[in-house]
Order: sequence, then C-alpha cells, then structure tokens
Amino acid sequence: SGELYCSLLNPRNVRFESINMKNVLHWSAPEGTGNGVLYKVKYSVYGVGKWIRKPECKNINRTWCDLSSETSDYEEQYYASVKAFLNGMFSDWVETTRFNPLTDTKIDPPMVSVSSTDKSISIILTAPEKWKRSPEEESVSLLQVYPGLQYNVSLFNKKTKKRWFFSTSNHTLVVPWLEPETAYCVSAQIHITTPILDSGFSKEYCIATLKDK
Amino acid sequence: TAGNKILHFGACRVSMSMTEIRAGFTAIKANIQARDPIRTLSILSYPHSLHKVNASDRCCITRHLFDFYVDKVFKHCKTEDSYVNRKISSIANSFLSTKRKLGQCHEQNQCVCGQESTEKFKQILANYEGLNVTSAAMKSLGELDILLDWME
Repeated sequence: SGELYCSLLNPRNVRFESINMKNVLHWSAPEGTGNGVLYKVKYSVYGVGKWIRKPECKNINRTWCDLSSETSDYEEQYYASVKAFLNGMFSDWVETTRFNPLTDTKIDPPMVSVSSTDKSISIILTAPEKWKRSPEEESVSLLQVYPGLQYNVSLFNKKTKKRWFFSTSNHTLVVPWLEPETAYCVSAQIHITTPILDSGFSKEYCIATLKDK
Repeated sequence: TAGNKILHFGACRVSMSMTEIRAGFTAIKANIQARDPIRTLSILSYPHSLHKVNASDRCCITRHLFDFYVDKVFKHCKTEDSYVNRKISSIANSFLSTKRKLGQCHEQNQCVCGQESTEKFKQILANYEGLNVTSAAMKSLGELDILLDWME
C-alpha cells in the first residue's frame, strides 16, 4: 500500500565544533534535500531537566548555531539538538553526544614573538584567550583555565638545518650560545597534559642573530 | 612514571596516573555515554556540582568517590565490547591503587570528613540508588570526566 511519507529525513552529523571554547553547533542538511529546509535548535545542561530553545536559531536556513554563550560555564556539560522542517514536514530532534567544553575544545597555537642578540634568541609565548561574549568583557587566558598548560618550542637553524625542541611552562624562553649572523626559525605549540589537549604548531617566525660584537 | 600526578590534600599526598586514566576514558567516552539515555539527572552533579565542595572536604569526598567507583561502578559496567571492557578494567585498576592510598591517609587521620562531604556523598548515593544498578553504574562511569575535571 502506498503509505504517505510525511516526515522529513533527519539532519545529519549534529555535533559541537569548539575552538578556544567558542562552541558552535554544526550539522548537515537531511539527505537529498536542497534549499528551503529550515531548522530550530535547543540545548540542555547535562543533569538538568530542561531543554532550552535558542531563539536566534529558530527558522534558520544555515546549518550552524553559535551556542558559546549558553555553554560558557566549562564546569558543566551539555547536549544540543536540531530539528529540520520543510513544507509542513519535519524531522525528529537529533542530538549531539555529551559536550564537555573543558576536554572537547580545540586549542589554537600560541602567539610567538622573537628578538635576538648576537648569540641568543628571546621568545615570548602567549596562550590564546578563552572565547568571550564581547570585546568589552574581561579576557581570560586559557592559562587560567588549564593551569597545567605548557609550551613546546621548536628552534630551527636554517644554515645547519639542525632543529631543537624545548618544553617550558614559562611564557618567555631565552636560547643562548647561538651562532652570530645566522637565521633561525621558531615555532611553538601548546601542550596540556591533563586533560590531554595539544594545539597545532604556530607558523614559523624567523630572525637572524646579530653580528658578533 | 610519565603522566603521574601528585594530588595534594593537606598532609595527604596521593600519586595517580591521571594521563593514563584520561586517555582510557577518552577512548570509551562516546560509547559509554551513548548507553546513558537519561539527560535529566547527574549522579555526581545533582543538585550541586562537585565544584561547590569546600577545599577542606576535598580529601574525604575524593576518598568516598574512589570507594564508590571501585565498589559500585566498575564491577557493574560489563559491555559486549571487549575493547571497552579492557579500558574499563585498566581505569578500575588505577582507581584501586589510588583508593588504597587514600585509605592509608584516612587511617592516619589525614583525610577527615566534615559535615558537607558526608551530606554530599549521601546525595550521590541517593542519586545512584534512584536508578537500577546497571543504569546507575553506566551513568556514573560516563561522568568520570566530571570527577577528573574537578580533581584537577
């Protein structure tokens, strides 16, 4: 018998994508649907009984929704859910897995600034800031969120092609006994031991040591 | 060993393989949490987060929680997946050794229980006993990162 198929296929791959605790819900459109599909979003704090609608993500046609503000307390964990609808048909609510901002975020590389003397290079490392609601809001460094944050630093001698690695929890590092008038390139990564989180390496910052005095 | 962390509770110092436990849990987290359909209740965080516990009570609560996980959680978390089971038993072994060390601190009166920690642990047990054993154990295991985040 020709059963009338009234419900819409579900949104797919509903998940949080988080960088420096900017927590954005993403999903893919239901299979086989072109334009015109609209969505609505709700979220809940794990262990609390209420689902809360996100008004700014009601009747939207994009496939993402920024929930950073709603999930900014990283001592809590969260679920989010998406429903699709089109021409009077609608899908089920499709949920994310449980989202823990503290362990499920990605960390950007640190900012690196370098200066040199004739025989040494000084490296200043700055951890990224946690996402914040507005520029006026007080900045929180990820160093405050992850007290065990360390830096892995790579130093590359462009003449000898030798590379050294250093690990430090200080935000400054001075590398002595280098060769004068030599180009060195520095790159750095953030390494958090617990929870286990690593950023990628920053781009390389190259500088030459000065002429021997 | 690498990845060991020294937990300081006043005079009580306990070394724990935190990185190993974290890695083990991360590997099975999605699998375990998917087995817990109840969004509206948390064993560890209801009604109040562990983060509300006084610093002076941290040792006692931690000791109670390690006893809780060893005695009431891990043994009820058998799954049909041998990989997941291996990870659970590895975490359980790490908890067992830390539980013993915390027990020694308790015997030496370095892990005193205040009113607040006693009340908080009673609430955790009540949350646990509000569900059938397997659901409660699986939910508790799925909340291991809540415990680890708080401990750190």
